[in-house]
Amino acid sequence: MKISITIMTIAMMAFTNLQAQTVSGKVYGVTEDGKKDVLPGVNIYWAYNLQGTTSDIQGNFKITLSRNSHVNGKDAPKVDANEGHPNEGHPNEGHPNEGHDHNGHDHDGHDESDSHNEHLLVFSFIGYQKDTIHVHENMKQVEIVLRSDEYLEGVEIAARQKGSHISRLDPILTQNISGAELHKAACCNLSESFETNASVDVNYSDALTGAKQIQLLGLAGIYSQLMTENIPNYYGLANSFGLMYVPGTWMESIQVSKGTAAVVNGYESITGQINVEYKKPDASEKIYVNGFIDSDGRLESNMNAATKLSDRWSTMIYGHASNNSSRDDHNGDGFLDHPLYTQYNVFNRWKYATEKLTTQFGFQYINEERTGGQDNFNLNDERIVTNPYGLNIATQRAQAFWKGGIIFDRPATSLGILNSYTWHEQNSFFGLRTYDAEQNSYYGNVIFNSYIGNTQHSYSTGASYRYDNYAERLNDSAFGMKESVPGVFFQYTYSHPDKVTFIAGMRADFHNEYGTFYTPRVHLRYVLTPKTTVRLSAGKGYRTAKVLAENTSLLASSRQIITHGALQQEEAWNYGINLTHYFDIRGKELTLSADFYRTDFVNQIVVDVDSDVHEINIYNLDGRSFSNSFQVEASYELIKRLDVVAAFRINDVKVTYNDELLQKPLVNRYKGLLTLSYATNLNKWQFDFTTQLNGDGRLPDTQMNPPEYRRPETYAPYTILNAQITRYFKRWSIYAGGENLLNYTQDNPVIAANDPYGPNFDASMVYGPIMGLKAYVGFRFAID
Amino acid sequence: MKTHKIITTMLALMALVVATTGTLYGQKADNKTETIEIKSSVVCGMCEERVKKDLAFEKGVKDVAVNLETKVITVTYRTDKTDKEKIKKAITNIGYDADDMMANETAYEKLPACCKKDAPPH
Repeated sequence: MKISITIMTIAMMAFTNLQAQTVSGKVYGVTEDGKKDVLPGVNIYWAYNLQGTTSDIQGNFKITLSRNSHVNGKDAPKVDANEGHPNEGHPNEGHPNEGHDHNGHDHDGHDESDSHNEHLLVFSFIGYQKDTIHVHENMKQVEIVLRSDEYLEGVEIAARQKGSHISRLDPILTQNISGAELHKAACCNLSESFETNASVDVNYSDALTGAKQIQLLGLAGIYSQLMTENIPNYYGLANSFGLMYVPGTWMESIQVSKGTAAVVNGYESITGQINVEYKKPDASEKIYVNGFIDSDGRLESNMNAATKLSDRWSTMIYGHASNNSSRDDHNGDGFLDHPLYTQYNVFNRWKYATEKLTTQFGFQYINEERTGGQDNFNLNDERIVTNPYGLNIATQRAQAFWKGGIIFDRPATSLGILNSYTWHEQNSFFGLRTYDAEQNSYYGNVIFNSYIGNTQHSYSTGASYRYDNYAERLNDSAFGMKESVPGVFFQYTYSHPDKVTFIAGMRADFHNEYGTFYTPRVHLRYVLTPKTTVRLSAGKGYRTAKVLAENTSLLASSRQIITHGALQQEEAWNYGINLTHYFDIRGKELTLSADFYRTDFVNQIVVDVDSDVHEINIYNLDGRSFSNSFQVEASYELIKRLDVVAAFRINDVKVTYNDELLQKPLVNRYKGLLTLSYATNLNKWQFDFTTQLNGDGRLPDTQMNPPEYRRPETYAPYTILNAQITRYFKRWSIYAGGENLLNYTQDNPVIAANDPYGPNFDASMVYGPIMGLKAYVGFRFAID
Repeated sequence: MKTHKIITTMLALMALVVATTGTLYGQKADNKTETIEIKSSVVCGMCEERVKKDLAFEKGVKDVAVNLETKVITVTYRTDKTDKEKIKKAITNIGYDADDMMANETAYEKLPACCKKDAPPH
């Protein structure tokens, strides 16, 4: 649990004729339901020497002023809630919570001397948020109100916590999806964890393989960075199916941040970052088992088990198996609506932790095979045009990681080391096309954190190394790519917890092929009023496109793949602004957040499926390419225990295809989301309901096709409804639900389905669901 | 393929029906409830969560409230299903004192650090 220094102070001053040498007052506590009462036994101490007292049975206290306190004659006496208070607590834990009931007590900007520690009086009581006040000479009698921890977001103690929230303190707009939120979408892996999230879209890449792609700010997932516990993961060859390699029940939480990310994690992440935190070996259920089945024949089982071996060592093992052997063709186009697949996934990790030193290492192995195509296709058939069309993708992936962290005696000073090695192999065919590929990747990052002068000026610096080696073979032609990129970075953070956080970062990377390039990024978080926060971000990002490796789905068509010229590095600027405001309505807090992000490509590898219906043309951007994304989101507890989130987003994404600036195909022009989540008293029942309104969009040009294989220029908006009921028992929970309740499916997702070996066959034009109404049921069982 | 769908749909429906009737049936019975206050050793929000979560699934318990200031746990329960002694016993089994009864030692050892009586000030 995180007890945070917090400001929620309703400070009240009274002038008395007491001797100048003491300050006295009364401490109250306010609980979640608003009850205010005197608080006895509160620890009250000076921040600089930790000497102090406790409040008596009536909440009264009296403490002697520190010797060196100076007179602040400029201002009327006031209590400054939570001023700075550096060196307190652990990094990332001791953050104050901005906002609430600050009652306009502005920060005392005249008093920034280094000695101000000596005026800081700390109020601390278990179960309540810690508070710090700034004591002035002429202030004698104070009233302090401590808030119970339930007011804090992000902590895990709340009896009932909203599943998803926007971090108030993070200078980068970050949304945390907690374990509670993950339970709302019961199935089953990372690709399905964003159904209740307005910022992230997940779409099928084609009609045959089941590959899925994230979309953030209207741009493909390749432009955001996917990480597992701060290690970049599931890129390159894993881009198509990687989201399905992260089982839902292994995850503790997901952080989604929009806009350019901090430079410490690399030069990629142009549109944002998605970080997955797995359950921790030292803080997880001893045993956890999950089973799931749906009406389309999907079977999943997950488990994890954790053991504390000693005070310092703990270990955890995670397992996953899933299968679908049900040959479904509900739309009658002769093609399976979903591939048949089997996945095995095991992960074992070890953690050693003392107060000063942490180290973790682990291994993961994934084996997956998927088969799709025409419903009468048989894997043993000879691959000739007289046999049914089929595809098969066999994947093996092994990964090892090692992380270390040292916390030094100097406050807020630490050293972190991340290492990860991945081997990924894919052997596949799509009809007559054969694609085999292998990827070897290493990622290493060393980060040193400390501060200059005081902890308001902190910095992170370090070095990273990335190595990626791709060996690919398409039919008879072999090709490959090797990237070796050492880099260094420095990031400065100024934080004035009450008011402002400013981050400026710069990195220099040295690419074996593209030479030296620089990545500047800045972030600013500014508290306009206690209830309004504004965030700004601007920065550059780069990436190297590996078109085939990242877009296996392109192979599920008869289109010829043509690359023009030498492909350059992709390069883009991203700018964003976010405004978050908290309203108090009927004693509950309504969070309203609006953001606008723009991405401007300097260079992009354009994957052009518009210029010629029989070709995929790949070339360097010549002209403009940009994305504008505007989103508003409101969340509120409408009636007791009923959380409502409503959001709306507009995407404007345009790319220059062959000298013509066109709307990017298969990107919805808008999206609406409404989620309702209700829990009964004592959380025994949970009801979740989600509506997604997916806007219209443009389809790639098919006018060159014979009339029967043409498609309209645009597709219409559609609505998806999901509902789920969960019943919690002491150790068990069972859930049942339905997806796509309106039974909406895309018409004719496969072009020329009757002639898969012909020139017009194309299964990559997918904008909507291929599978209709689906029912599912599952259980979870946990022993703490 | 079709059978799969039918079977799963039926399973899902059955689970719902069973669960729903279970609660309805449970509520139909004579609902004589009583509310008691028990002085305990809860100290922080984590304790509160633990007590609520565990007591919620104790037989007969209808409502639980924890006051961290006064350290009083308020429990509403059905008199035909349980009694005050059983609830107190349940609280001690979670690891907390209940009026005159001391916390179960093994359960207490398993509590999070902040819930221990000698927890350092946070």
